[in-house]
Amino acid sequence: MLPIILLSVFGIVLLFMGFLKSKVLLLPATLVFILAALATTFMDWGKTYLYFQNMLLTNNLAILFTTIVLLSAFMVVALSNSFIEDEQAQPAEYYALLLFSLVGAIMMISFENLIMLFVGVEILSVAMYVLAGSDKHSPRSNEAALKYFLMGAFATGIMLFGIALLYGATGTFVVSGIKSYVYTNAYGVSLLLYMGIILLLIGMLFKVSAAPFHFWTPDVYDGTPGLFTAFMSTVVKTAGFAALFRVLSVSFVGVYSFWWGTLAALTCLTLLIGNVTAVYQTSFKRMMAYSSISHAGYLLIGLTALGTQTKQALVFYSLAYSLATISAFGVLLVVSRQRQDTNGVNENFDAFNGLARQNPLLGFVMAVSMLSLAGIPLTAGFWGKFMIFTTAADKGIYWILVFAVLMSTVGIYYYFRVIIAMYFREGAAEPVKVAPFYRYVLIAATILTLVLGLAPGLLEGLV
Amino acid sequence: MKPIEIVFYVLTGITLLSAITVVTARNPIHSVLALIATFFCLSGHYILMNAQFLAAVNIIVYAGAIMVLFLFTIMFLNLRREDEESKTNLTKMAAVVVGGILMVTMLLVFRAVQLPAVNEGNFDARTGLVEQLGIMLYSDYLLPFELASVLLLVAMVGAVMLGKREAGDRHF
Amino acid sequence: MDLTIFIVKSIIILAVFGISLLIATYSTYVERKVAAFMQDRIGPDRAGPWGLLQPIADAGKMFFKEDFIPAQASKWLFILGPALAMLTALMSSAVIPFGDSIRFDNYDIPVQGIEINIGVLYIFGVVSLGVYGIMVGGWASNNKFSLLGAIRAASQNISYEVALGLSIIAILMMSGSLSVRAIVEQQAEAGFLGWNVFTQPLGFIIFLTCAFAECNRTPFDLPECETELVGGYHTEYSSMKLGFYLFAEYINMFVSSAFISSLYFGGYHYPFMEQISNALTNSLGAVTGHNVATAIGTAAFFGKIFFFIFFFMWVRWTVPRFRYDQLMNLGWKILIPLSVLNIIVSASGLLFNGMKYASWLIVIVATVLAIMSNSRAPKGQVSPQRS
Repeated sequence: MLPIILLSVFGIVLLFMGFLKSKVLLLPATLVFILAALATTFMDWGKTYLYFQNMLLTNNLAILFTTIVLLSAFMVVALSNSFIEDEQAQPAEYYALLLFSLVGAIMMISFENLIMLFVGVEILSVAMYVLAGSDKHSPRSNEAALKYFLMGAFATGIMLFGIALLYGATGTFVVSGIKSYVYTNAYGVSLLLYMGIILLLIGMLFKVSAAPFHFWTPDVYDGTPGLFTAFMSTVVKTAGFAALFRVLSVSFVGVYSFWWGTLAALTCLTLLIGNVTAVYQTSFKRMMAYSSISHAGYLLIGLTALGTQTKQALVFYSLAYSLATISAFGVLLVVSRQRQDTNGVNENFDAFNGLARQNPLLGFVMAVSMLSLAGIPLTAGFWGKFMIFTTAADKGIYWILVFAVLMSTVGIYYYFRVIIAMYFREGAAEPVKVAPFYRYVLIAATILTLVLGLAPGLLEGLV
Repeated sequence: MKPIEIVFYVLTGITLLSAITVVTARNPIHSVLALIATFFCLSGHYILMNAQFLAAVNIIVYAGAIMVLFLFTIMFLNLRREDEESKTNLTKMAAVVVGGILMVTMLLVFRAVQLPAVNEGNFDARTGLVEQLGIMLYSDYLLPFELASVLLLVAMVGAVMLGKREAGDRHF
Repeated sequence: MDLTIFIVKSIIILAVFGISLLIATYSTYVERKVAAFMQDRIGPDRAGPWGLLQPIADAGKMFFKEDFIPAQASKWLFILGPALAMLTALMSSAVIPFGDSIRFDNYDIPVQGIEINIGVLYIFGVVSLGVYGIMVGGWASNNKFSLLGAIRAASQNISYEVALGLSIIAILMMSGSLSVRAIVEQQAEAGFLGWNVFTQPLGFIIFLTCAFAECNRTPFDLPECETELVGGYHTEYSSMKLGFYLFAEYINMFVSSAFISSLYFGGYHYPFMEQISNALTNSLGAVTGHNVATAIGTAAFFGKIFFFIFFFMWVRWTVPRFRYDQLMNLGWKILIPLSVLNIIVSASGLLFNGMKYASWLIVIVATVLAIMSNSRAPKGQVSPQRS
């Protein structure tokens, strides 16, 4: 509850700070604000609270997801030092929108009432639509914003329709109220409930870019300025999965047999489309877009095989995925800006040619994050995949397990293309420069990935 | 049939007719005008459900402000010429199939569903009036109500950020 | 519903309808007479005694002119435009209480088209629709000037609707109801000094300004500004279609005056109404006395309405037109913040001891600030205009 209030107020404070002539204070202020919100998040640790007549429910799981979201936001903001030099940028508004979108993300993570879910999704999405179009003079950015907005608004409409039908079936918006409805009417749930579940799932799956609702993802991720793509692919995805988990594991667990088949089919479709299409990309950013679709698929396995292990697996996987994605985008931002070709920033694979030789640090950071995304042992990504696959094995859904392993071998192919480009190709001779603070953030993310890869037990027992 | 049922069916008929016109009209202005008519009919439905405040606000906000801005934009663009159809037949087919499946599913569900019987004794004539709505919003739903202001602020900041004219931009 | 009530209601509604039209008709005459008076002329004096038949002659002329529809115009929308303008103008007077109530037999029927608990919102809804008549007509004419006029009207109406709505929230907080009749009765309870114009001076000024803008009257008549736009949205109109537009403007003026009178000037309430009404019931009997008292109240209400119609004309012939950017700045940067401030101050006043007159604080502070800044400015020097 407190982080929501704090972030809303801090966002307004940042807007007012935009009046100041100097932009230097904005970045440190934003970082401090996010840290303050993070600190207050932990005040509820170990307790379960219901706020405001069943509107919000905080428990350890919600706090962990909030931590992941805030940590990702912290790193993204820390990588944003280029705004200060950019004449076109409006950093105060960007940071304020980021903080407001975090309010939405936290609402999605800790909602107890479906209205809160809806308002949270909208806050997060509207901020993202704007940030997607923040590069006003680039047609690609405009296209991204428009596509995201039109499709996102449509998906929200479908979700709202689903919520309305759920209300019609159960007479309540409260998540636990729907749960008790399902249990008391175990053999005669209203058909409206099924329709509501499907429509709500469609809306949420759109937000986490699962197939077949993924069509917006490549264009939007590609057109959006890199930093906001990193934010989108980490914060939005984590919050979306937290929301999906809460609604599926609490409300609809009683009708598991109804939705798990659909979800399993969508999982396989997502894995297939994400991994196979990623192979054919020439642009690194587009590859990351498809990779984010495929990771949505892995996370969906955890939901399909809903069990006692699921929450831990989801938390670990989201954390590993967020760390790796942000460091990958961090490296991409530096490299693409310093190796421009005729079309402006170069976001293709060949931008990374010979990177390991000119800047070993960036090469190493990128290599670790790619290994983690591919799920190679000794990185956090491996244990994330391991835990997800364990949930499927526990539930006995082996065919999905086999399919997912197969798909992750496909994933190794395209992730290794970057590593090969960096270590085995000749590239431009001029060295790539990195600002000191930027470097520390990347190093921290990499160390965290490796530590979690070596000692996955650190997060055990927290939820 | 009770008089209120006749009113309901007539209103529903007009609603559907104008909603279909929104989609099928060739001229965007006609489309917008049909949408305004649809909003009016929806307000009529709100009144039938005793939600007078919602009905009035629906007209003020949607018909009176948002649709005026729609009309405003379309008039500026002057979209009189019909745009060429840019969708392939495959897309159209897919849309028809998906939309048809969704419609059939919903029709089946709505036909099969058993709605609980209405107990007319429970009806409170003050439900839906301004006072009840206000009490509801400021007690049970206070948090989403307040956070909706964050949503509006985000939209406003975003609109200003994207729409603001910068140094060097063209003055119309 | 009882048949008698139905018949009486129908008569009242028809009377309201007829009176709206009649007043609008004679407003055109009065407007010309007022203009003439302001400019030291005589004004229309040929048709009938003192030119009293002039409006009828005008209407006759309108009807017999050629009804012309431009070739490139969208025909149905071209006809729809003036119809919509007239429709929305006539709809809004339905909820205005013109008097207390009429009693006969066992009936007690309020002198009002219809009493609904969201009367204020109803008026706002209808007013916000008024712009469609102008927009549709302006666009359908297929003329650049008409389109520009229509677009100006739309942006002006939307901008001022916000301040209009915000300015009466303080009144709604005091009366605790959205019904116009309840607001009038709440003012009547507190006596003459309880009229909202005395408790809400700032709200009244904002509301009045916005009402001018909503009616597209000078100094806010940008949509039909002759010097820039020929005739604005009705450039292409002729005959009675043009008549409808002009007529709708006068009806809107009448409704605005009635609305201002009921919201801020006590509606059908007048000083010492209680005492006079009691005296009448005592001398003439409960039924007749009450009806006579109602009639006096209605007359007082119409007196207020006529004053405001005159005020509209007075302003039209004395104040020059705004520039378009000035109009927008006034709406968004001055009126809206002021009305929000008004809400906050009035609300805090009501919260502490139910102080109704808190709004005066802003007026006093603003006046002091204005005097101070005026005295500090060097005399005889025009402040440089900001670009």
